[in-house]
Parts: sequence; structure tokens; C-alpha cells
Amino acid sequence: MSAQAPVISCKNVWKVFGDNPKRFLKEMNSGMSFDDIRAAGYIAGVRDVSIDVHKGEMLVIMGLSGSGKSTLVRCFSRLHDITSGTIEVEGQDIMSLAEKDLIELRRSKMGMVFQSFGLLPHRSVLENVAFPLEMRGQDKHTRRERAFEVVKLVGLEGREDYFPRELSGGQQQRVGIARSLAIEPDIWFLDEPFSALDPLIRREMQDEFLRLQQLLNKTIVFITHDFDEALRLADRIAIMKDGAVEQCDTPDQIVLHPATEYVRKFTEDVDKARVVHAGVLADKTATGEGEPVDASATVHEMARMLVNDAREMIPVKQGDAVIGALTRKSALDILLGAAS
Amino acid sequence: MKKMTTALTAGVLSLAPLAAMAQDSSDPIVIPIHNWSSQIVMSNAVGQILEMNGNAVEFVTTDSQAVYESVRLGDVTLELEVWEGAFGASYRAALEKGGIVDVGDHDAVTREDWWYPMWTKDACPGLPDWEALNDCAALFTTAETGEKGRYLDGPVDWLKHGQERVAALDMDFVVVNAGSAAALWAEIGAAEADKRPIVVFNWTPNFAEAVWPGEFVEFPAWEAGCDTDPAVGPNPDALFDCGNPANGYLKKAAWEGMEEKWPSAYAVLEQVSFTNPQIAEMARLVDVDDLEPDEAAEVWLEANKDVWESWVN
Amino acid sequence: MSVETTTLPRQKASLSNAQLALCFVGAAALMTMVQYLGGLPEWLHRLPEALVPNFAGWLDTIFNFVKDDLGLLVLTRTLTEGLEWLLDASGNIFFGKRRWPNIGPIPWTAMAAVAAIIGYYLGGWRLALLGGGTMVWTALIGQWEIAMQTMSVLAIAAPMAFVIGLSLGIAAWKYAWVDYVIKPVLSVLQTLPFFTYLLPAVIFFKVGPTAGAVATTIYAIPPMILMTTLGLKKVSPEVVEAGKMSGCTKFQMLRHVYLPSARTEILVGVNQVIMLCLAMVVLTAFIGMPGLGAKLLAMMGSFKLGRSFEIGVTIVLLAVMLDRMSKAWVVKQPEHFERGTPFWKRHKMLVLGIVAFVGFTLMSLVVPIFAEIGRGQDFSQGKALDDLIKGFLSIEWVKATTGFLRAFLNVQVLIPFRNFMLSIPTPAFILLVAAFAMALAGRKQATYAVVFFSLVALSGWWDRAIITLYSVISAVTLAALIGLPVGIIAARSKKWSNRVLLICDTAQTFPSFVYLIPAIMLFGITDVAVIFSILIFAMVPLTRYTIEGLRTVPEEMTEAADMAGATRFQKLWSVQLPLALPTMAVGFNQAIMFAFFMVIIAAFIGTQDLGQELQRTLAGTDLGKNFVLGICVSLMALTFDLTIMKWAGDKKSALGL
Repeated sequence: MSAQAPVISCKNVWKVFGDNPKRFLKEMNSGMSFDDIRAAGYIAGVRDVSIDVHKGEMLVIMGLSGSGKSTLVRCFSRLHDITSGTIEVEGQDIMSLAEKDLIELRRSKMGMVFQSFGLLPHRSVLENVAFPLEMRGQDKHTRRERAFEVVKLVGLEGREDYFPRELSGGQQQRVGIARSLAIEPDIWFLDEPFSALDPLIRREMQDEFLRLQQLLNKTIVFITHDFDEALRLADRIAIMKDGAVEQCDTPDQIVLHPATEYVRKFTEDVDKARVVHAGVLADKTATGEGEPVDASATVHEMARMLVNDAREMIPVKQGDAVIGALTRKSALDILLGAAS
Repeated sequence: MKKMTTALTAGVLSLAPLAAMAQDSSDPIVIPIHNWSSQIVMSNAVGQILEMNGNAVEFVTTDSQAVYESVRLGDVTLELEVWEGAFGASYRAALEKGGIVDVGDHDAVTREDWWYPMWTKDACPGLPDWEALNDCAALFTTAETGEKGRYLDGPVDWLKHGQERVAALDMDFVVVNAGSAAALWAEIGAAEADKRPIVVFNWTPNFAEAVWPGEFVEFPAWEAGCDTDPAVGPNPDALFDCGNPANGYLKKAAWEGMEEKWPSAYAVLEQVSFTNPQIAEMARLVDVDDLEPDEAAEVWLEANKDVWESWVN
Repeated sequence: MSVETTTLPRQKASLSNAQLALCFVGAAALMTMVQYLGGLPEWLHRLPEALVPNFAGWLDTIFNFVKDDLGLLVLTRTLTEGLEWLLDASGNIFFGKRRWPNIGPIPWTAMAAVAAIIGYYLGGWRLALLGGGTMVWTALIGQWEIAMQTMSVLAIAAPMAFVIGLSLGIAAWKYAWVDYVIKPVLSVLQTLPFFTYLLPAVIFFKVGPTAGAVATTIYAIPPMILMTTLGLKKVSPEVVEAGKMSGCTKFQMLRHVYLPSARTEILVGVNQVIMLCLAMVVLTAFIGMPGLGAKLLAMMGSFKLGRSFEIGVTIVLLAVMLDRMSKAWVVKQPEHFERGTPFWKRHKMLVLGIVAFVGFTLMSLVVPIFAEIGRGQDFSQGKALDDLIKGFLSIEWVKATTGFLRAFLNVQVLIPFRNFMLSIPTPAFILLVAAFAMALAGRKQATYAVVFFSLVALSGWWDRAIITLYSVISAVTLAALIGLPVGIIAARSKKWSNRVLLICDTAQTFPSFVYLIPAIMLFGITDVAVIFSILIFAMVPLTRYTIEGLRTVPEEMTEAADMAGATRFQKLWSVQLPLALPTMAVGFNQAIMFAFFMVIIAAFIGTQDLGQELQRTLAGTDLGKNFVLGICVSLMALTFDLTIMKWAGDKKSALGL
């Protein structure tokens, strides 16, 4: 997936809040920590972040509240102007865009879903969904047609004329999702879309979301403070703390090799067996024998086989081709916890 | 109400050839309305007369002092009740500035002075003589005035010089200024309940005469110069040592452009003249019989055709 | 045996606010003492006449310059023509003024039906009854035409105030400098006595309805600005971001995102605009506005208590109707219909309204009584009410009570208090006010107090200002003595809270000058009558905010007090009252503002204060004097406003509310 140029590419991005952030940043010495900056009267929302998002990828940005994850995603869409660094969207430096072009970019390429939905209370479901289309001047008939389509896609058929307050939280977020999809965006930002929902609904919405993603295959930046959610959805996870990215990698790697102590603490209580896939464990130089396992199988899914099987090396296949083999011991260590 | 107007208009339309001779502007004649009944009814009556004369008429409510400025500017066309005592000063000031003309007097005379309702006389039989009043001063005491009697004067800005007169005639009275005419009536109304003696500022023609019969106090008679020359009047060292004139004028005034713009209406206005009883009757229709002013005017016009028909012709 | 820890003399030279305030009071007391002993030079007691700057003259020069030389008068007179055209058109529709479009007047039955249907649409049967009932009452009591004269002006003034207020509110929200400029102007506007609005309106916009409409509009604008700004600031950032991400341009953001999302606050603003317009449109009778106000003045001028009272009731009904309907509109949410609902069903109320309107209009062509109720046909009970009121006032014990109150309050309390206040030398008085501001709010407010009151002293109207202040303080004190206990007792149950609040609403919307006549009849032309009429107004906010403050004390706190075994009194004294205090302070502040408003009207009873002078200026063209007097009132009111609101704000944040 890295063959193509990244859809979003940000380099050394800083976002500082305060009276005169630009000057402050210029004069600041490079070693200043988050707390040092705060002592100087400024808040570092995003600190020196460099990250790429590839086409069709789902990047999950994970962090506790105040870690800067929401700020970062707002920099991507230029809801916030960054203080220094560059952000390119499809090769275009968005900081250099004129207001008109920025509006055009948002109208044609971006969709965003918000934690507390951000629905317009005076508009019906259909009118909310059609809102971005209306803004870009589409005629009433076409936009209604498209809105009907998206409403149906998110499973709200028959509720088109309801008003937001008449819907449950989950349904409201479906409206939010439908609205963000109405213009068929290439890039989809979701800012903690399921945090305001209760746990059962959240699970259901995650499934729904995965279903949509399979259908649409968008480039996605997904924000969450819930590590389990991140593991469940992400292609890659970026873990943020105090405005900086601590580690950005696949779920398997983060679980297996946490880069910092902070990241390790998150992974501690995670059932690694449900996260780690056979493909990650496979040693490409080795070859096993017998029936291969699929690279996309998690250790947890292989558990019964692992316990019963006697082979030391088990081949791993991707599609029909064998790509290597994993050692049964390494898989069992993940399943049962390494004997230290 | 509509019906009556229509009937009246129809009646006058038969006189149309006469009215058509006038070459009046079709713009409405603006007649000011103030906040006392006789003026309101009189304005309505004259307005209806002018309508029969073929003019368009419109009424605006205005302040009775500020109106002279409006007449001067032509915002308002005429004024039917210029009281010598109350509005003489404002009227004269406007006259000096120009833009307003004198259209003659009504037959009615006006008087403003110390006044008491009839029941007061029961307690102080020497009235209306002012010395008798002074002897009864104790009857008019209140909690605040202590030993002395209270005389309720009009609002300070009416400049009725009650204070000066009390001093000049060495009376045992304290002058208290009411804030408005309504305040005066409220005091009389409260006194009426237990027939408490009271002496207040009042004037004629006025609705109060119909509600509370009463009399003016007779002070030393007005002499010209009483307000400017201390030697005039019983006290050689003081001004305002006599009563107010008992026959002040009641004048009509108009914007100076009226004669040119509405010649026929102006001719009617010159003719208009009411007497004291006529004015009192108009006020009574509203204040006692509870008619609306426009209805009262119709009723009065209907009953007094002989008075006004000659004005139109 | 224990060593006494003596407090060391404080090293720091600076004094606390409270100490400084005490010093001020001490200095003021000393100065007053010296004055009593005859040792104070006259120029320290009162500012010598010669030193009073000729503010009024200067202002007149400026006004004349702006008016004539800069041509403002030409401009406003041109605007007047446009406004007059609007008023004429609305006058034609409402009460049949003979002007374009010559289609009016709307028959009262049609109007009543439409009012009832709008009421039903907004709030069900109760509002339908209120809307229709108010109209029917107005017609039956024989006040239809004058009420419609008032409404025709309201129908123009309120939308104008709405549009101007909304625009300025948006500007103030968008541009910091506008906000910066507008804030102090609004504070002054809100404390300026209404007489000060009237005279410039007359001079620039011609005597009569146009001036009245302008004064009314200006009077009603401030809350609209405040509510608009408040609402726009409160729009949730996510909704804003959602708008931006939907690709809204700046105008689209405002039109489709900000304004609809601030709907609630904007509609609350509309409610306040309507209420203020109605209050003011009645008062503009003083400058020749026809309608209910003018009729009321005329009725009072001819001592018709019953009819005045009936007009008062009409005004209250109209006010309550407009208030309740606009409030219902605030909370009214859009409803959805099932797919395929036919048009007439979706807009049932609209269709019904049109049908009723057309139906009654047609019917009124056939049945005249449906079009208009003449004087002879109405149900006015003016005379009977007159007798009732007079009868009540002549009851022996009523007379005895009011007689005693009048003698006691006037002779024992009010007159000595007034004389005392007048005896305080001007600088000492300013120090006292500064001490008050310092102790409650802080140095900034104390500085304001000194500056503001010094300006009042410089205006040359000091004694009258002090008499104004004396009336306000006396009335608010008495109002607190009565209003607070009433509020505390009523707050104990929901039922009584609601009842008392309803009485408060009614008392407040009753046109203020209706109170004057009964006040005089009860207490004569004395300060007691003046204070009594202010008292009624000042009590309303005190009671209302006491109830509100006490009722909104968090339940956990009262439950905690109950569980701690507090008696009812202990609970009230140590839990509820301290928590309600900031809210009550707001009520207290409003009571003072209302008192400043009413004391000016009380000039009609007979006072020697600023109000009386203001009333006099109305009849002339003394614009400068009118402004100086108005600003004096405003400055005094602002001193209290700034101080008390700061204190309430501090207290509130200290309590973490």
C-alpha cells in the first residue's frame, strides 16, 4: 500500500495555542517539554508530528483526553491552522490554499463525523444529510435523491423526516455518518464517533462501521480514546501523549513491541491473542510442514489447533502462497503469556 | 357610529355645491388633540364641521405646550384652545418666532385660581372670601403641614405663583405642588369620600365642574401689573398679591400657511366660537355620559345645528 | 498561662478594601459632623453655582450643530416619511386609518379567531383561550380601536427593533471592536430614564406616532443585541465544525448554521423586544402616540378610575398573551409528518387560520357587530368600578390604616431621612457611595462610583439627584422588608411559588402610571405615595429572584442539610439563603433599576427630584437639559448596577455555581 503517494502527509507539524504562537515557537528552544511550554503560558496541542496516511488505509489515532488527537485531526482538515510544519493532502499544501479552494476541498473530498454528532437541530434527517450538498449548490432534486441513498445505506430508511431530537444517540450518529458520506468523500475523518454512545450500541456501530468501510474503502482517520476500539478497527494506530506521537504502527507490532513505557501500559491488559495475527509471527525464511494457517488468523483463532498440534514450525499462507512459518512456541507464548 | 357619519356626510353632500366653491388643498388638515376632554370633543366637533366643509381631517395627539412649535412648523395646522393662563407664554413665544397666526377668540372666558368643592363651604361658611379661607386654615392641615393649612397647587412648571401669593397676603398656608392634573383630581376624589375640606388649583371650563360642584376663592381682584409692580394690589411690597384675571381669553391659532392652503377651512375656523356652557356640555357628554369623544361631538353637533351651521355658510 | 499571640502590626502599607471603605466612611462622617457644627466652608458642602459647567448649553450647541449644520434633521425627517408610510399602512390594516392600502380595518372577530388559532398552534387550548379571550375582552370592553392603534405601532416597532438588534448583535459577535463600543452604550441605554428617549425622538422624528415608534424601537433594541450575541457565542463548536466541513462559506455559516442554532436565544430576545415595545408604546403617549396609553392618560386626566383600570387590564392581557405566545414559540419544536401527508394536513393550522379569517371577514360584512362594537354596545363597567374603588377607599379601617401610615412614615421616617441625606456635604456623600462600592465590589467599582457621582455633582442637579436617590433607597428598603419574606415563604411550596410569580408578572405588566392615582388617593400628594408606587414595582424582582434563588438550590444540598438534622430555619439560614444570595442580589439590583425607572414616573404625583425636571423638559425643546438630567439618573443607576452585579458575580464563582 505504500506504492502510491500518501493521501495525507504531515511533516513536523506543530500546533501551539496562545497569544503569539508563531513567535513563541520560533524563539522556543527545541528541548522544551509539554509542561515547560505550558509554564510559558502556551498550550502545545500538537508537537512535532510527522505522519502519513495512505490510500484506503484506516489510521486510528489513540490517546487520552487532552493528548492532542482531536487537534491533530482538525489540522488535517484545516479547521485549525497549524503553527509550523507542512500538511499535504493529495500532494497539495493545505496551508497555502485560499479560503475558496479550502471550501472546495472540503466540499469535494472530505467528510467528518463528530463525537456529539454536530447535527443541526432545526433540520430533519434528510435535510441534515443533504446539507453539504445544499452548500455546494446542488439542486433540490438531486440532493434529495442522494440523501435518500445515504440514509438507506446507514439503515435509517423511513426516518427521513424525523428531527434529530426524535432519534436515539446511535441513530443520531448514523445521521452524522450519512451526512459525512453524502458528498462521497475520499477522506473520512471520524472524531470519537462512538464515545458518546453506551457500550452495547457502540459495539453495534463499530460492526456497522466496518461493514461500511468494506463497502466503500475510504481513506480514514479515526480518533478514539478506547484502545480496544483502536485494535479492533485499525490498520495502523498512532498513540499520542501530550501532543506528540509516541508510536505509530500496526496493532500487532504495538502489542508485541511497545515503543515506550507509556504505550506498554496500554497494552498490558490487552488479550494479545486476539490482536496478533499469524502473518506477523511468520518467519519469512523458515518453512514448516503440513497444513498451513491463514496469515489473517489471530492467535486466539488458532488456539485449539496450537494446543493440539505437535509441529514446531507451522507454515503460514497468504492467499494460496505460503509466505513463511511461525514457531508454535512463539504463538503459545502469546496465548498463554511468556514463561519468564 | 359608522352609520351616523355616513348619514351626516350624506346630509352635507346635498350642500355640496356650496362646499365645492372652496379651492382647498386635498391634504388633510391636522388637528391636535390634548389630554383633557373639552379640548378633545371640541377638536372632534370642529373636525367634523370641516369634513362637512369638504376638507380631509386628521387628528394627532400632542403635548399641549409643545404643540405651538408644531403649529409653527406646519406639522399641525391649528389649535382650538389657547388658554391665556396656561399656554399664553408658549403661544406668545411661538408668535414671536413666527409661523403661527391668531384666528380670534371664543366667546368663552377662562379662569384659573384657588378653588374648593362645595362641601368645603359647609365647614368654612365664610367662603368664597379669601380672608375667611385664611381664618379656616386649621381645617386644611395635614400630617406634613403641621399647624398650617395645605393649598394644593398645580405642577411647578405651570408657574401659578401660589407660593408668592401666600407670602404676599401672609396666609397661614403651605403650598404643595401636585405633579399633574390627574394628581389634583385624585386628591379631590379622596377628599370627597369623607367630605374633607380641601382647597386646590382649578380652572374653568373643566370637566371637574360637572363632577364636583365648587367655587373659586375670591382674592383681591386682578389689576393689570399685579404680577410686575409691587405697588399694585393690597400689599405694597409684594407681587402676586391679587387673584388671577377672572376672564382670560380662549383663543384659536393656526399655522400661517393655512389661509392660503385651505382658504375655505380657514374662513370656517375664523367663525368658530364656543361659549362656556357649550364647552361644559361637550365635556359633560364625555366625562359624565361616558361617550367616546367622536360620538360626543356628533351628538353635540346634531343637537346644536343652529350654533354651527352659520359658520359653514 | 498560654502565651498570647498578638497580631503584629501589618508590615504592608496597603489596606484591604474593607479597611479603605471604613476609612472613607470615617472621613465622610467627620466631614458631616464639621458641617453640622457649622465649620465647613460652603463650597465644600455644595458645589458653588459658578463652578457648574454649562453641560446643557454645550450639549445644545452640539445637538444644534449635528441637527442643522450636519443635516441630521434632514436625514431623520426623510426617514420619518418612510416610517410614516409604514405606520400608515399598518394603521390602515389594524384600525382602518384612511391610507394605502385601504383594506382595513380587520374585523375584530377575524383577529380574535386568528389569535386563538395561533395560540392553539403554539401552546394548545390554554393559549388559544388566552389569545382569543384577550381579543374578545378588548372588543367587548370597547377598546378595540385604541388597542389596535397600539398594536399597529407595535407591529412596526418590534420588527424594526428585532432587525436592528439582530444585526448589531451579529456585528458585536463578529467584530471585537463593535462589542467594545456597544457594551457601555447599552449599559447607559438600559439605565436611561425613558423620558430621555422621548424628547430627541420628537425633535428628530416629528411629534406623534413616528417619534413614538422610534423611541419604542430604540428602547427595545438592547436586549435583542445581548441575546443575539449570547446565542451565537453558545453555538456548539462541533456544529460549527460540521458546518465548515460541509463546505459552508462565511455567509452560509451564518445563515444556515449559526443563526438557526442560536434560535432559542434569539427568540428569547424577540420575547423581550415585544415586551419592552409594549411597555414603551404605552409610555409614548406622553409624546402624542395614540392608543391605549393616550386613552389611559386621558382617563386619568378626567379622574375615571374604573376606565383607567380596564385599560390597564387590557394592557396586561395583551402583554401576557404576547409574552406567553412568544415563549411558547421559543420552545416549539418542529414536528415531522409521515410520508405522503397531504398539504392541508401538514399545514392544518395555517389552512384553518385562513379559513377563519376569511370567514369572519365575510361575515362581518353582513353582521356589523362582527366588524365593530360601538360605545353603546360595550360592556365597560367603568362607573361601577369607580364606585367600587371609591367605596373601598372610604372604608373606615382603610382610611385609618393609610392615615396612620402616611403620618408615621412621612413625618417620622421619610422626611427626616430625606433631610439627613440632603444635609450630607457633597464630597462626603461621594465618599460614602465609594465606600459602598469598595466594600462590595472593589477598587475599580469604587473609582467608577467616584467619577459617576462627581459628574452628577458637576451637573448642577445635586439636590434633585439626592432626592431621587432618597426615594429609590427608601422604596427599595421597604420593598425588601416586604418582598423578601413573601418570597421566602412562597418558595416553600411549588404551588405558592407559581401563584406569587403570576402575581409578580401581572403587577409588572400593569402600566406603571395606573398605580399613581390609587397611591395618591391612599396617601395624598406626599412622599409616601411616591414611595408606595415605586414599592410595588421594586418588590416584583425582589420576590421573584428570592423564589428563584431558593427554588434552584441543588437538591443534594438541602437533602444533606436534612440528613444533618437541620431544622427548617437552620436549613434556610445556613444552606438555602447563602446559596441563593447571588441570585437574590441580581433581584436586588433589578429592584434598584426598576425603582430608578418608576421614580421618574412618580413625578406625576408631585416630587422635587430629577424626574420632575425631566417631565418639564418634555414640553419644550431643551434637549441639552433633558440629556443632562437623563444621564444623571443613568450614572447613579449604573453605579449600583456595576457594584452589585460584580459582587453577585464574585459570590457566584466563589460558591462554584
